[in-house]
Amino acid sequence: MLRMVLQRLMLGLVTVALVSLIIFAGVELLPGDACTAVLQRDAHGQRLINCRKELGLDRPAYVRYATWAAGAVRGEFGASANSDTRISELVGDRVKNSLLLGICALAAGLPLAFLFGILAALKRDKALDLVVSGLAISAMTIPEFVSATMLILVFSGWLGWLPGIVLTSANAPVAKFFPEIILPVVVLSMVMTAHILRTVRSSMIEVLDSDYVRMATLKGVPYRSMILRHVLPNALLPAINVVALTVAWLLGGVVVIETVFNYPGLGRLMVSAISDRDLALVQAIALIVASVYVVVNLTADLLTLVANPRLRTAMARHA
Amino acid sequence: MRKLSGLLAAMALSVASLAVAAPTGTFRQAHEVASGNASDVDPISKGRVFAVTEKIMNRLVRPGLDGKPAPDLALSWSANPAGTEWTFKLREGVKFHNGKAFSATDAVYSLKRVQDPKIDSPARSTIKMIDKIEVVDAKTVKFSLSEPYADFPLVFTDYRLMMIPDGSGDTIKTTGIGTGPFKLEKFDAQGTSVLVANMDYFDGPPGVAKMEIIGIPDAQARFQALLGKQIDMLPSGITPQEKTLLSRSSSFTIQDVPTGNWRGFVFRTDLKPWDDVRVRRAIRLAADRKGILALAAGGQGAIGCDTPVGPTDQYRWDKTCNQDIAKAKALLAEAGYPNGLDFEVFVSTVEGVWPAMAATLQQQVAPAGFRIKIVQVPTDGYWNEVWMKKPVSMTRWNQRPADAILNEAYRGGGKWNESYFKDAKFDAMLDDARKELNFDKRRAKYIEAQEYLWENGGTLIGFHATLSVATTARVKNLDPVENFTIRWNKITVD
Repeated sequence: MLRMVLQRLMLGLVTVALVSLIIFAGVELLPGDACTAVLQRDAHGQRLINCRKELGLDRPAYVRYATWAAGAVRGEFGASANSDTRISELVGDRVKNSLLLGICALAAGLPLAFLFGILAALKRDKALDLVVSGLAISAMTIPEFVSATMLILVFSGWLGWLPGIVLTSANAPVAKFFPEIILPVVVLSMVMTAHILRTVRSSMIEVLDSDYVRMATLKGVPYRSMILRHVLPNALLPAINVVALTVAWLLGGVVVIETVFNYPGLGRLMVSAISDRDLALVQAIALIVASVYVVVNLTADLLTLVANPRLRTAMARHA
Repeated sequence: MRKLSGLLAAMALSVASLAVAAPTGTFRQAHEVASGNASDVDPISKGRVFAVTEKIMNRLVRPGLDGKPAPDLALSWSANPAGTEWTFKLREGVKFHNGKAFSATDAVYSLKRVQDPKIDSPARSTIKMIDKIEVVDAKTVKFSLSEPYADFPLVFTDYRLMMIPDGSGDTIKTTGIGTGPFKLEKFDAQGTSVLVANMDYFDGPPGVAKMEIIGIPDAQARFQALLGKQIDMLPSGITPQEKTLLSRSSSFTIQDVPTGNWRGFVFRTDLKPWDDVRVRRAIRLAADRKGILALAAGGQGAIGCDTPVGPTDQYRWDKTCNQDIAKAKALLAEAGYPNGLDFEVFVSTVEGVWPAMAATLQQQVAPAGFRIKIVQVPTDGYWNEVWMKKPVSMTRWNQRPADAILNEAYRGGGKWNESYFKDAKFDAMLDDARKELNFDKRRAKYIEAQEYLWENGGTLIGFHATLSVATTARVKNLDPVENFTIRWNKITVD
């Protein structure tokens, strides 16, 4: 068990290192650099040379990567390339805000996903199932920026019930984000709910169709206790991994939603860092998101182990 | 009796409100966060946020609504007969936001700071003709120029040449202490910057009590914020499509503002085939500017004869030049291309209208024998890898006074001379115009220079853009001009 956990941790570290390398190469391949992004039309001649020297961009790429990586190992991300602000300072509030958005979306979406996923499976192919599944598929297939724009148009533009765009500063206290946060939370939880709901539904159906459930039914186990004691525990296990993936996606993939709603989270910071060619900042954010992915997936694996006796004993036998 | 006293009180109140209309309400404007985390409020830095500095600081001279220089912190100015020595009289009783009185020392400090090669401000070249700046007395500044410059006061209308307190160079980035109608209370480029009314403003207290300048990097999000009335004004104009949408609603006011901002094609006059003046003339004759304006910008703009001088400028050569395919074809044949000419135009979406402009030109000039291949390039790195590098590329310029734009973009050897135009005769015309102290004669000379460009230049100017500025209907008294000319102290909100 411990061996497996360590193995997973090592793999996670390798993943994070690879991600940082890929991101570095990616930003390096883009035309332009921090200096051309800041100077724009002035990016010519001596001024460009001076700027590159100032930011250390005149050094070869591998030297810059090595310097950065050495700092990152010590937990020192350095200063943002085109301002004097420390990266830890820039990122701190943003992480908090993205977490707030993610937690709200989870809190709203998880209960709905499980409730309607289970109901849809129990009423399979009936009207309720058709409606729920249909809604879930459309929530999954309509791109976030489309649903976001539609919701803003209806609730902010036409009805005037909710603010459409988030205007609160990044360092504002949590309470200040209400009610502006409502629309982004709704859009985010729509997609998330749909994914989890569909997993819950299909794994429920699988279990409902299994031999042991049929056996239990034939033996006369009451419907209610059969669902609660035999079906749900077995069906909900696979959902843990989907929830974990979704949580990780929440942190990394909210880029679009944060940009559309002008939400001051990690995603929007990432977009502006890329357009500024603020390599140090891009790297730091990528590293944070990759680490979250790894940690969340690891947690999910462990949870599955704890919840599933079969896996636990299988591991023990191997060891 | 109670009735009467009530009436009297009401009258007294209304009289009082007429006498000193106290600033009321909050005005909210978005800005683009163009410089990201490098944003600051130092008016001459690379990361300056104009949307803030234009409201908290003043220049010596401001652009008047009529295109002529108008007094700001300088009340009057005069020159010696040669036009090489200029004396500026400063306004009395002006105070900085920190309570200090504004004097000649501050003006000299602010301008010397712009000249400082160590700071290397992008605004430095705008005052490079100044040799010496001297304090004559507390309210008088004298400038000695390296050459005669008849329109010297116009130089100070540049929106970066703001006055800051003597010695504040190291702190101005964050404090934003100026003399303007609003005081900086909090600066947060990515979030919301807060400005409050300066009750001691020399022109009286401003109309609104508070301004919030909000960073929204995404254009779509900015427009949504306006639609939802979370902000009152965008950083700049709206597109023709957005205009159609907003004009259906009574909640928004739209003003059309003619500007000197132009969009065009640049042909490098130092490279084949554009080094032949006949080829340059041919491509410019083959273009139909009215068509380009209609198709690329929804007719929102002004057209002329490839003059970079804006439609509201006092020196504008106001003439329209029509498409002439037959003449273009003849010129092309004469230059040795009887079977036409193939060339590439490099386009990106740095400017939204460029692709449509290029596609329109491609169709228009085909009958004259020009076969254009449009090459799409990424927006990133456009200015340093494509512009001024490729033989034919797209360009855009923001409004500048006639003398500034003619010198910056066309004088031989200039840093931003994008068409590599080098013509001693043209340069001499500019020198002559600069020296001429008589306004009418000077105007004639600038117009002559513009005519010369039409015959010989390497720039095809599609149009000067007209901005459609949208605000929520509660905003009143907004000057129908570009942001840096607006008198922000005049606006009010309901």
